[in-house]
Amino acid sequence: MKRLCLIAMAAGSSLLGQAQTNLPGTLFTARGPTLISSESADFDLAGHEATYRGHVRVDDPQMKLACEQLVADVPQAGGHVNHLVAETNVVIDFADNKGQTNHATGDKAVYVYREQDSVTNESVTLTGNPQPQVEDAQGVQVGDVITWDRVNTNIHVRITGNYHMIFHEKPREAATGANLPPAQTNPPAGTVQDNDPPAQTR
Amino acid sequence: MSAAANITRAWLLAGAAGLSAIALGVRAQQSGHATEFTTTEYWDAPHQQQIKTILSGAEAQPQPGGLLIIKQLKLRTFDLDGSLKIIVTAPECIYDTMGGTASSGGPLQLQNGDGTFRVEGEGFLWRQTNSLLTISNQVRTRIETGAKPTIKP
Repeated sequence: MKRLCLIAMAAGSSLLGQAQTNLPGTLFTARGPTLISSESADFDLAGHEATYRGHVRVDDPQMKLACEQLVADVPQAGGHVNHLVAETNVVIDFADNKGQTNHATGDKAVYVYREQDSVTNESVTLTGNPQPQVEDAQGVQVGDVITWDRVNTNIHVRITGNYHMIFHEKPREAATGANLPPAQTNPPAGTVQDNDPPAQTR
Repeated sequence: MSAAANITRAWLLAGAAGLSAIALGVRAQQSGHATEFTTTEYWDAPHQQQIKTILSGAEAQPQPGGLLIIKQLKLRTFDLDGSLKIIVTAPECIYDTMGGTASSGGPLQLQNGDGTFRVEGEGFLWRQTNSLLTISNQVRTRIETGAKPTIKP
């Protein structure tokens, strides 16, 4: 499950930048920008919302995301991107802290960032049909809803509804680097383990 | 009709009537040519004293049908508290004074108040009535995050 926790950190903190501002005793220095490209976009200048359409790509030092439509709030001066919704053929690739490539897919991904009473709360929720899944060197985990919640330093991972895991016959070598091509999306024949794991805290 | 709508209507009518009328900030004018013009739109009541948008240009050339070719377009939007929200700039666009739209096939840049959210694209249409800006091609956004070192005790 550790890899799922790392997904949350990568997808959350990379898109939203200041994910770890409440970690005590830490120094966060400048990091690379997040780049979004698309064929077209609508900007609601009154509502401060951007809607990207057509071959949307999010390129971040820690992750890459692809989808067909992405809705994001436009941050105010000194503010933070608080809400993102990626829809249709959502693919997230990232390298975790061990340098291992992870590959998550879903029909919809929703990111929410909140700060309340000096507590930072982030969540990323993957849903849709076909079922969202996340794959790494060990195998593929599938569920109806994959959610990562983060409150300060605690990461809660929940995979609910028709959960199962497909193990690779042989664990793949850990690939390194966020710029590697996405892992193969079709899982190889392997063992299927069905269960309904409880939420985990990292 | 709301105050903002009145202002908008006056703006459009003025644009149709003549360049001298629409250009509230005209400093120099020759026949059919103006420089440094500015138009301002205000929020609806009870905030009618608060600026909602400022559209300005370094140069404006009237065209048939109530159109204006605007050089060095700058569109600024403000929140009710007066804070600058969005800045849109373009080298050139066509402003339809009757329809309340600005469009161009050329490049455009957009950024938020502190420049941490920047957008570039090719070809755009801005609709004044709903403050919707559509960028048609090659949209590229750059979000600066974590630019300032932060130390939390």
